Amino acid sequence: MIEAFKEAVNAVSSPVTIFTGSIFFFALLVLFPKQMTSSRMSAVLVVLGMGFFLVGLTDEHFRTIVKTPDNVPIVGMLFIFIYFTWFALKKGIANDELIAAGKPTKEKEEAEEKVMVFPYLIYIEFVTALFYAIVLVLWSIFLKAPLEDPANPTISPNPSKAPWYFLGLQEMLVYFDPWIAGVLLPTFIVLGLCAIPYIDNDPKTSGFYCYKQRRLPIAFFLFGIWILWFQLILMGTFLRGPNWNFFGPFEVWDVHKVVPLLNVNLSEFIFIKWLGQGLPREWYLREAPGIFLTAVYFLVPPAILAGTVFKKLYEKIGAVRYSIFIMLLLTMLALPIKMYLRWAFNLKYIVAIPEFFFNI
Amino acid sequence: MADKTPSLYDLKKTTFWFAISGITLLIGLVVMVFQDSAREWKHWQAKFVEYSREKAESELQAAEKSLDEKKLEELKQSLAQVKETALARRQEMEAIQKELDPLQLEITKTKTRHQDLKQFHDSDRYFFEEYSEKGEAHKAADYRKKLSEREPEILSLKTALENQEALRDEKEIALKQWTEKEKEIEQEIKKLTRDVTGLETKVEKLKPNLAKEILNAPMLDFMNPTLRIQQIVVENLRDDYYFAKVEKVDRCVTCHLGIDQKGFEDAPQPFKTHSRLELFLSSASPHPAEEFGCTTCHGGSGHSVDFVTAAHTPRSEDQAREWKKKYHWHPMKHWSEKMLPLNYVEASCAKCHTGVVEVPQAPKLNEGRNLAQTFGCFGCHKVEGFGNRWKVGPELTHVQSKLESDWITRWLENPKDFRASTKMPRIFHLSNTSDPESVDKNNATIAGIAAYLMKNSDPVALESPKAAGDAKEGERLVKETGCLGCHTVGSLAANDHGPELTNLGSKVKADWLYTWIKNPKHYAPETRMPSLRLTDEEASHITTYLLSQRNEKFESKKPPLVKTEAVDEISLTFMTSKLRFQEAKAELEKMSPEARLEYVGQQAINQQGCFGCHAIKGFENAKPIGTELTEEGSKEIDRLDFGFVDIERTRQAWFSQKLKEPRIFDHGKVKAYHEKLRMPQFDFTDEQVDSLVTFLLSLQKSEIPLEMKKSLTIKENQIEAGRLLVSKLNCQGCHTLDGKEGSVRSIIEDKGNAPPILNGEGKKVEEVWLYHFLENPTPIRPWLQYRMPSFAFHEKELSAFVQYFNHLAGVEPSYKGKGIPPSTLEEVEAGHKLFQAFQCIKCHKSNPEPGLSASFLAPDLVMAKDRLRPEWIIDWLKDPQEVEPGTMMPTFFAEGKSPVTDMLEGDAAKQIKAMRDYLMVFTPEEAARITGEAKPSK
Repeated sequence: MIEAFKEAVNAVSSPVTIFTGSIFFFALLVLFPKQMTSSRMSAVLVVLGMGFFLVGLTDEHFRTIVKTPDNVPIVGMLFIFIYFTWFALKKGIANDELIAAGKPTKEKEEAEEKVMVFPYLIYIEFVTALFYAIVLVLWSIFLKAPLEDPANPTISPNPSKAPWYFLGLQEMLVYFDPWIAGVLLPTFIVLGLCAIPYIDNDPKTSGFYCYKQRRLPIAFFLFGIWILWFQLILMGTFLRGPNWNFFGPFEVWDVHKVVPLLNVNLSEFIFIKWLGQGLPREWYLREAPGIFLTAVYFLVPPAILAGTVFKKLYEKIGAVRYSIFIMLLLTMLALPIKMYLRWAFNLKYIVAIPEFFFNI
Repeated sequence: MADKTPSLYDLKKTTFWFAISGITLLIGLVVMVFQDSAREWKHWQAKFVEYSREKAESELQAAEKSLDEKKLEELKQSLAQVKETALARRQEMEAIQKELDPLQLEITKTKTRHQDLKQFHDSDRYFFEEYSEKGEAHKAADYRKKLSEREPEILSLKTALENQEALRDEKEIALKQWTEKEKEIEQEIKKLTRDVTGLETKVEKLKPNLAKEILNAPMLDFMNPTLRIQQIVVENLRDDYYFAKVEKVDRCVTCHLGIDQKGFEDAPQPFKTHSRLELFLSSASPHPAEEFGCTTCHGGSGHSVDFVTAAHTPRSEDQAREWKKKYHWHPMKHWSEKMLPLNYVEASCAKCHTGVVEVPQAPKLNEGRNLAQTFGCFGCHKVEGFGNRWKVGPELTHVQSKLESDWITRWLENPKDFRASTKMPRIFHLSNTSDPESVDKNNATIAGIAAYLMKNSDPVALESPKAAGDAKEGERLVKETGCLGCHTVGSLAANDHGPELTNLGSKVKADWLYTWIKNPKHYAPETRMPSLRLTDEEASHITTYLLSQRNEKFESKKPPLVKTEAVDEISLTFMTSKLRFQEAKAELEKMSPEARLEYVGQQAINQQGCFGCHAIKGFENAKPIGTELTEEGSKEIDRLDFGFVDIERTRQAWFSQKLKEPRIFDHGKVKAYHEKLRMPQFDFTDEQVDSLVTFLLSLQKSEIPLEMKKSLTIKENQIEAGRLLVSKLNCQGCHTLDGKEGSVRSIIEDKGNAPPILNGEGKKVEEVWLYHFLENPTPIRPWLQYRMPSFAFHEKELSAFVQYFNHLAGVEPSYKGKGIPPSTLEEVEAGHKLFQAFQCIKCHKSNPEPGLSASFLAPDLVMAKDRLRPEWIIDWLKDPQEVEPGTMMPTFFAEGKSPVTDMLEGDAAKQIKAMRDYLMVFTPEEAARITGEAKPSK
């Protein structure tokens, strides 16, 4: 029976299903946070999650991958982040209810009383440090450093994986040009994170957990960090195998697996498939549709959204901050959009200019 | 603290958790410390100490038993007596001692004063000289006075000292005489009980005690532990870690503690003594442990001190199971250079012993090398260092004069159908080409190859036997002329250097065989088979005999059906690699069926690499088709294609499997006919596979620095060049030479009829004579049926042989020629008379009658002056048995005394010299004269 379950999981697993499933789950979380973080739901999710994990541990291959000293911290990271997301949302919901009832927030209440740093801060920090030390000692005894063969320049490991903090970007390399996925996007990520305090500088909601008043920023951030960062790291760690092929959680990592990759540029779609002509010789003619689409994507939605969904926001933060914000948001959303275009249409590049090594 | 201070949470709980975490952490740390110090190797070292102690205890018991108790008792009694007498004399001794002490004090005082004064003297002298030099006469005079005053004082002190010392010595001698005897007896006792006391201390040292436990305790074992890691650091040999070459550090001896000591041969592993200590590990051996370490030969991870991480490799499935149970063994991950299983350990010898035909003391490796040569591995697989080898298959450049096309097709189908002992492997209808489609293609290919060979070989003029031969006579000739030196005939299987002589009637015609045996090089210029200088009748007899044997089953085999579709398909496959399909089809249309068949044959020969073993017209410069094996022993495991075969992921497993069933890695794969694996099936036995795997594992990419390699001197190189020729031409098939017995000697009962033993030949014969003999052999021992063949050597080969024999015998090149002063007439006469006295001519006849037993015949001495070295004749006459044990030549000069006392004063040396000088002028006329003189006495 467990075998059937494993087979079913393997059959269902693919980047599309996992990505779409996680977006669906994310939507539920963001739209119905109270229900999702309620004790009953949390219990159900914990049981399901742990159940899957424990069932999975019975499988030899799953166990090998999860028990690798390299991957144990990633598993740990998964549990820790789930906990913190749940914690923050729960706190936020609690505060929302207090605010709705007109009471002061929990933080405000707590801010009224003052207690001594020693022992209430120091003592518990100390005990925590001791437990932390125990964890480290046990870790160092049971998880040995993952040293491999002496480095042989003639043999590259297969799969060649980036360190975990770059696995998200390595996953992006499947869908994007290295310039975009490796230079542009990381720059935007870093600059974007730096820019957040300047864009979202409303002091009204600072200093305490809250959800309703900050639903949009929280949603965008959780989308970015969960769907586009963690999820890709988890996929890159556990579900990507030799030759960067996708393997289900219970699939054996076979070096010889060959999966065809046939992707077509937008210009080829338009000129060869639809119009039946050949590709134009000049690159600006050939890529004109793609360039046009990209321009439209970045110019039209901001204007429309400023007038409709983001109207209040636009008025609050002003044109400059709004444009920065909308640029970052559109770039962020461009990722899943391109991924779906790839999965649905085998689209390779929207704009493909190999003459300048520039592809989007 | 004000009790009104607000609290955030209950501190009692926090304290509780503090206690828990504190205790847990403490326990954790203690566990960590103990776990860290509980190392596997300490356990083994402790065990070794215990084992050594037990051994020492049993040795102690044995020593105690063998102690001469009675003598000990005697000595002890005499000691007691002496002690008694000493006791009686005690007073005297004490008196003398009383005098000695103040005397010693005086001596010390005098000495000190003397030395002090000397110092002053030196200083004064310095100042005197300085001031004299400076011209300060006044100060100089002062010092002069001081000097002159001091000198007598010093002298007197010296004399006083000497007197005192003399007195003291006197008294000490007096004292000693009482204690001397005591000391003597004590020494004797010590000598008698030396072994026992030695062993007692040894046992004491090996006993566990508290001090050792403390020194070895965790956290304290940094000071001076008794259990410590032992290592051998070898500077000259380095491990290659790709970005650095690191000195070898071999920590094997941490657990393998008894490995270089005699006496642990019966100990359990890991304490067992290494096998053949005189060859490995001991400081007197050629491979001392400090210079070579362990991993050079055995591989593995030298700096590990764990059983598993050292990459020990079990030598069999059983051992693997045993290790898994006992030591929780599993193959070491992430370390590709695992230890060689013990049965392949000779593979490491070749890393340093390069440039030799046979690696000394490595029989399995040498067997592997020989097999690789014999079965023609180097014909397809390039191996650097083995490029000077020869093609093992017969030349096919003239094959149309030898074989029929039908025979070739039947042969190619399965060579062993014709002759089970053939070395030619099976190429077609193997495990990956047995499906119906492949079978058709195989048949077409076989027919094609036959067609190509018949068309593309030059005919050769053949001679017919002039008269019919007698098969019985032919059989006798084959068995007695020397064919057995290379060939197996029937049940006489001393050699299999050449093909077994059987079933030839089904293969060749009389013309060809007759021409061939009379002069092999006429048909095949590069053949190794020599000519036996057969007369026409002999050749005719032998031909008749050999052709009388047939293989009916083989003859009645139907040639396989060749489908034209298969021929066309194969042709198109080859053509479309260069042309487009339409063009290829057009080309094909133009070709006649015979041309297509020939084309298929040519492409197939190119594809299958037949030219690797056989010289074929049109393929003189073709490249061998196999993988280069120069560094096969170092090949990364990932580069070996294991296919779907479930064997261990090790090199030796892959090589063994490949040699046993070369096409097995194709199983389960979808491949076109011409993409399939091509290695033929040699049907090796398991021992042959083992030896060949040892050879393959020896082909490693290792950079041993020159100073660590066994580099050959020029002489040794020339010996190796000779050895290569010897192995190519199978000299040891007939002759005992260079440590190997001549193979045919085992089937000849009367060893007098056997080919001569060639040990020490370099010392025996003249170089020029040897050169010309090898060039054109002439009979030396006419009674021998076996003939020395004519090999038609080149000048280089002849010189190589002469050098080979010279170096083997340790003969230095010399330019003195014969170096004998010319003899006087009297000396020649003396030699003549001695010759008659010893009746040399009785055995050393010029024309022996037929029928005499070979044991009583000897070479004609007319040849001696050109053939034999003068110094050798002296040694031979002195003691023939020492030069060639077992020879029939009598020892005339036993113990250096001559039986002939009336000539040359009965001096053996003079007589020998005279006879030698006589031999140097022993012409055929002299021989006739002596024979005539000898006749009446017969």
